[in-house]
Amino acid sequence: MSLLAQMVALQEAHGAVTDADLRTLSREAGVPLHRLQGLRSFYPQFSSAPARVPTIAVCRDVVCRMRGGSALDRYLEGDGARDGNMVPVSCLGRCDRAPAALIDERPHQLRFEDAGGDTGSPQAEPLLPAAVRPWGIDPYTEAKSHYGTLREWLARGDVDALIDTLKESGLKGMGGAGFPAGVKWEACRKAEHPVRAVVCNADESEPGTFKDRTILAELPHLVIEGMLLAAWACNAREGIIYLRHEYEPERHALEQALQDARARGTLGANALGPGRAFDIRVFVSPGGYILGEETALLEALEDRRGEPRNKPPFPVTHGLEGQPTLLNNVETLAASVSILHHGADWWHRQGRNGGSGLKLLAVSGDVEQPDVYCVPMGTTARELLEAAGGMRDGAQPLAFFPGGASTNPLPAAALDTPMDWEALREEGSALGSGAVTFVAEGRNLLELVLAQVRFFRNESCGKCVPCRVGSHKAVEMVEAALAGAPEAGLPETLRRLDGTLARTSICGLGQVALAPLVALMDRFPRETWQVLAGGEETR
Amino acid sequence: MTDVTLRIDGMSVTVPAGTTIWDAARDAGIDIPVLCHDPRMAPVGVCRLCAVDVGGRTLAAACVRACEEGMEVRTSTEQVQQDRRTLLDLLLSDYPDVSRRERSTGDDALLAQARKHGISNIPYPDGSRASPRGEDHSSQVITVDHQACILCDRCIRGCNELQHNDVLTRSGKGYRTRIAFDLDTPMGESTCVACGECAAVCPTGALTNRALDGIALVSEEET
Repeated sequence: MSLLAQMVALQEAHGAVTDADLRTLSREAGVPLHRLQGLRSFYPQFSSAPARVPTIAVCRDVVCRMRGGSALDRYLEGDGARDGNMVPVSCLGRCDRAPAALIDERPHQLRFEDAGGDTGSPQAEPLLPAAVRPWGIDPYTEAKSHYGTLREWLARGDVDALIDTLKESGLKGMGGAGFPAGVKWEACRKAEHPVRAVVCNADESEPGTFKDRTILAELPHLVIEGMLLAAWACNAREGIIYLRHEYEPERHALEQALQDARARGTLGANALGPGRAFDIRVFVSPGGYILGEETALLEALEDRRGEPRNKPPFPVTHGLEGQPTLLNNVETLAASVSILHHGADWWHRQGRNGGSGLKLLAVSGDVEQPDVYCVPMGTTARELLEAAGGMRDGAQPLAFFPGGASTNPLPAAALDTPMDWEALREEGSALGSGAVTFVAEGRNLLELVLAQVRFFRNESCGKCVPCRVGSHKAVEMVEAALAGAPEAGLPETLRRLDGTLARTSICGLGQVALAPLVALMDRFPRETWQVLAGGEETR
Repeated sequence: MTDVTLRIDGMSVTVPAGTTIWDAARDAGIDIPVLCHDPRMAPVGVCRLCAVDVGGRTLAAACVRACEEGMEVRTSTEQVQQDRRTLLDLLLSDYPDVSRRERSTGDDALLAQARKHGISNIPYPDGSRASPRGEDHSSQVITVDHQACILCDRCIRGCNELQHNDVLTRSGKGYRTRIAFDLDTPMGESTCVACGECAAVCPTGALTNRALDGIALVSEEET
């Protein structure tokens, strides 16, 4: 068992990984103490002493702040601390049931009796797994036909045709980066050394993002089948699903589907043909948004602090244990099955307004029905808003974040933009992690964007100077401005800082941490200039 | 091993494949500033001061980036210089008023880079006052000033990779990251054998020789 897995087991068994635990582990595993301290202090799931009472981990990020209102603010910033067991944490991926919390590691929705003034402890309603719904990306109508696409391709035996189909479909990585999936599979197939593993990145953690959670809960067979197809195409030895630990209920659905696949013989000794074994294991992340960065994820799989590697080289040539590794997002793997079942032409026909295929979008914020929606790629933001029941309580839309915390907010005037890679890029934003957060008139956009920057500051791994120090300074300076004391020349300082972070940070987190702030200054000058420049128009 | 040919600041350079840009530039007489890199150690590319323009969307850290055939490297464009000044501003905004290294031996590499880059007014809030990171005087040999630590990783590599003493780590995450000994115990109570490597490779006033603490360097003109 890996060091991290042993530490997770200790944490789960005793509610802590104590110094005594680490001294024992150090002796038994033959690793120095400092290395274990490095791990324990890096991953948020670990604590060095057990909590005295069951812990309530309350989300402090933007969607929950919007829904929880001032009662949640007061609870997070003071009243909750009195109970002694409330811990503010980063986005839990339950933005459809905001404000969210983990109580004893189980997801709950909080409700506050908002009487103004003092806030009592909130009511907490457990979030139970939803019933499985039909989804457009699932080519199967019944469980007994699951894995039929894999069987057909194995029988056909033409890996080149499989890769061509995926390339023709134009499927892009749905984790946010948008790298063409077929090109990546082909690069792994052609790698000089045998492919070590197919890794499914199920660590979605960006505020507002919960589409992968829905796939894991309702369509786990597609994730497994996508990994099998990828493994067959790339000759991979092993499958690993890197899952965020806050997705405990989804983990059960996934484990059940894995058991089912093993019982069918779909996974196991002859998974990829006679004598070609393949199986998949679930690695539960000890926490942190940065682990979704693919090389940080690999570092965690290798028992190190999840700090992103300098690139190049990339994982397709130098991944897990330095060997070629195929890393794909949950939705990318699920969509690949649909494409390889129906064909590339079918996939293209599913899109609209120039888009290709189907897209799962997690809709949150000031809407009537926050949820995951499977829509044709190219559906406009306005149509998506209508699908989600429109704005909550008949409010007027002010803005929307089209792709998660790292994407630039767009004004309501841009609601007719198709939700697609290219169209959103032309509009100055991005499809990002498939998380669409709508914001109603009357909200303070600068405060919301500051909440996003704070998230990146909180989740920075601390490895490189620009991200570690720069994101912190930006938060401090904008906080001071919101408190009425902006530094002279603040807009220019923020712009320069954003440029340096974008150009010199090791990974995507630091590179985009301040981008929404600068976009806000450009796109919403009325909302920001008064605060950041002390009323002085200096642009 | 094959060779690659590239241009660094307009100069054609041929080096064995796998050579870093920093090494190739040094051999060609071009000085790229660094804080975290030391030629005796495996590069980690964390201070980012050696960022250079290779024509990409982002800059490349010269200490870790391998030379490629046909690469066009520019080591000191106006943009690159501006980014280096911003990185130095950020580090200096948290730096203590007095560096023990500068005061005693006059070789604080961060302050030297600040002088070289003409840093004067730092536009960022002073972190040494808002959230001081503390000092550790428990060792008889080495003084630890966390406020002067820039997390360059040199002491960690010095301790674990050069000396194989295996005592030092980064502890915590993000802005709160610090260097730590064993399970974050005071240096004097840890398994540290006081070899002195960490203080020898430290580029700032974070890890310094305790015997020199309080001794101030005096220039000849002042005596």
